[in-house]
This record gives sequence, C-alpha cells and structure tokens, in this order.
Amino acid sequence: MRVRRLRKEVAALEVTAFINLIVVLVPFLLSTAVFTRLSVMDLSLPAQSSNKLEQLKANDLKLEIVIRPEALEVGDRIGGLIQRIEKKDGHHDVKALNTLMQTVKQKFPETKTASVLSEPDTSYEVLVQVMDAVRAGRSANGGTKLVRVELFPDVSVGDAPVRTKGAS
Amino acid sequence: MNLTPIQKRAARKQRNKQELDMNLVSLIDIFTILIFFLLSSATEVETLPSYRAVKLPESTAEAQPKETIVVVVSGSEIVVDGRKVADVADVMKASDDVIPTLKAELELLSKRQVIRAKNEATKTAVTIMGDKDIPYRLLRKVMVTSARANFTDVSFAVRQRFET
Repeated sequence: MRVRRLRKEVAALEVTAFINLIVVLVPFLLSTAVFTRLSVMDLSLPAQSSNKLEQLKANDLKLEIVIRPEALEVGDRIGGLIQRIEKKDGHHDVKALNTLMQTVKQKFPETKTASVLSEPDTSYEVLVQVMDAVRAGRSANGGTKLVRVELFPDVSVGDAPVRTKGAS
Repeated sequence: MNLTPIQKRAARKQRNKQELDMNLVSLIDIFTILIFFLLSSATEVETLPSYRAVKLPESTAEAQPKETIVVVVSGSEIVVDGRKVADVADVMKASDDVIPTLKAELELLSKRQVIRAKNEATKTAVTIMGDKDIPYRLLRKVMVTSARANFTDVSFAVRQRFET
C-alpha cells in the first residue's frame, strides 16, 4: 500500500514590497539625519537703561579673565592679577585655566559670575573655549568618577582693558 | 495515488519551479533597526536652522536652544531669520559700534506682537550663530547692536561636544 504523504508547500515570505520601502526610506532618512547636536550658551548683556555705576564691595570676588594674544590673565577687579597662564603649544591653555577656576571656586563658593574680557582680534572659538572653562569643569573630588561641577555659570563678555598689564 | 487534474498541475508546477531563494533575513533586520533609529532622530525637534557656511565652535554647554530670533554671522554676511542684512566686510570697515541695518531689522522684529503669554520671555532673546573664526570685534558689534535694539538676552549657539 502506498503511503499518502501530505504535500507541503515550502513556506515563503513575500517581502519584496517591504524591502522596496526600506531601501527608499533608509537613504532618505540618512540624508536628513543630523549628527551634531546644537546647544546654546546664555549670557546676559546689561540693559540699555542700567548705566549707573555699581558700588564695589571689598570682599566680593569680581573675577575677570582677560584673553591676551600671548596668554590668559586671570584677575579680580579689586584684588588684582591672580595668575597669568601662558600659551602652551600655540594654544591658550584652557585646561590650566579650568584647574585654576576650580581652586578659585573652592575659595569663593558663593560667587557665580565672571567676566571674560577679550581683545578685538580674539577669535570667537577661543572666546567660547575660555567661557567653557570658566562655566563648568570636571573634578574627581572624593571618588574615582569624574563629576561635572558648575563653576561660574553666569559669564559676561566684555572688552579687555587696553594696557599691557591688564586686570586692574 | 490518484490526483485530480488540478492537483497534478500544481505538482508539476512545483517540480519545475525555478525559485531564486535569497536569504534576506539579516538584511531586513539591520534595515528595520536602522529605520527606527533614524526615525527617532529625525522626529527630534530642531529649533536652530543649520547653515553650511557657518562652522559653530564646540562647547560642553548643555542648554537646549530656545525658539528665538537667530542672528547668523558667517565669514561674509550677517543674516537675521533668513534675511541678509549686512556684509561683514562693510561692518568691519565701519568704526561705529552699531550696525544700522541690523538694528533696523531687529527693531522691526521686536515690534511683532507676542500672542501667547509663555512666549513673552523670548521677546528680548536673540541667539547668535557665529562662525568660529570671526573676530571678537565683529561679535561685539553684533552684541552692542542687539542690546541697543532691546534684545538683552543673548545666547551663543554652539555645537555640543561630549567629553570622554
């Protein structure tokens, strides 16, 4: 007796339409994809009306970072120059500036403001790098993990004093 | 085994079929994952336009861009919300701190009514997208001009950099 076997069709998926769709969608989405994320840095300018002079207080830190073509000068408006950071390998040494900012922050934990003063020919990129170093830093205080710490987030921008020895 | 004519035909067809069997499973897997990834990144709201001519500086700042008036300062021209207002070469030559055409444009834009109350804060806000090679002299002029036009809340657009 012959055994009657069930004739089984080989299972096949009809995926051509799906692949077509995907092949079109992938290049389209790849072309529109943005791989760089943008963010903003806030700074506030003095309003038009507030032209009056402010009273300086003696034990108040008014941190000023002057960007010179050959060095960065960190100073206090009242106390004078704190440190001068020379250029390293043709670039401004923002790492050293960041370390210095962290030590300054430890002495004045309440202060949140700082001024970045630049000369007319300072490039925007250098200005942003210096602002970055002043705003926040990373430190390993206590643990092994680097923690992002806020230093002087309220940065204002101004003109460098036109003198060879700045930060008066 | 007796088959009906229709079954015979089906069997014959099956025997003589030349099927191209492609193994597409992994390809489809990859594509599907890629599509989900790209779709999720494409639906992210983008508030700042991107310009090829402007290379933004890199920074670790994390604040999200707000919807404000955008002043683009490239190496050759100044553009406010898509409209060119001044040439950089002319501005650099001028000794005055205020750029008159930019000021006029900003004052015109500041007259626009704010309908929704929560957008009131953006009335004095301006985002500057500057090329990383522009000198501070030019940036200062743009900032002075926007301050004169009562846009006191200035922010710089930067490219986010992730520190390792």
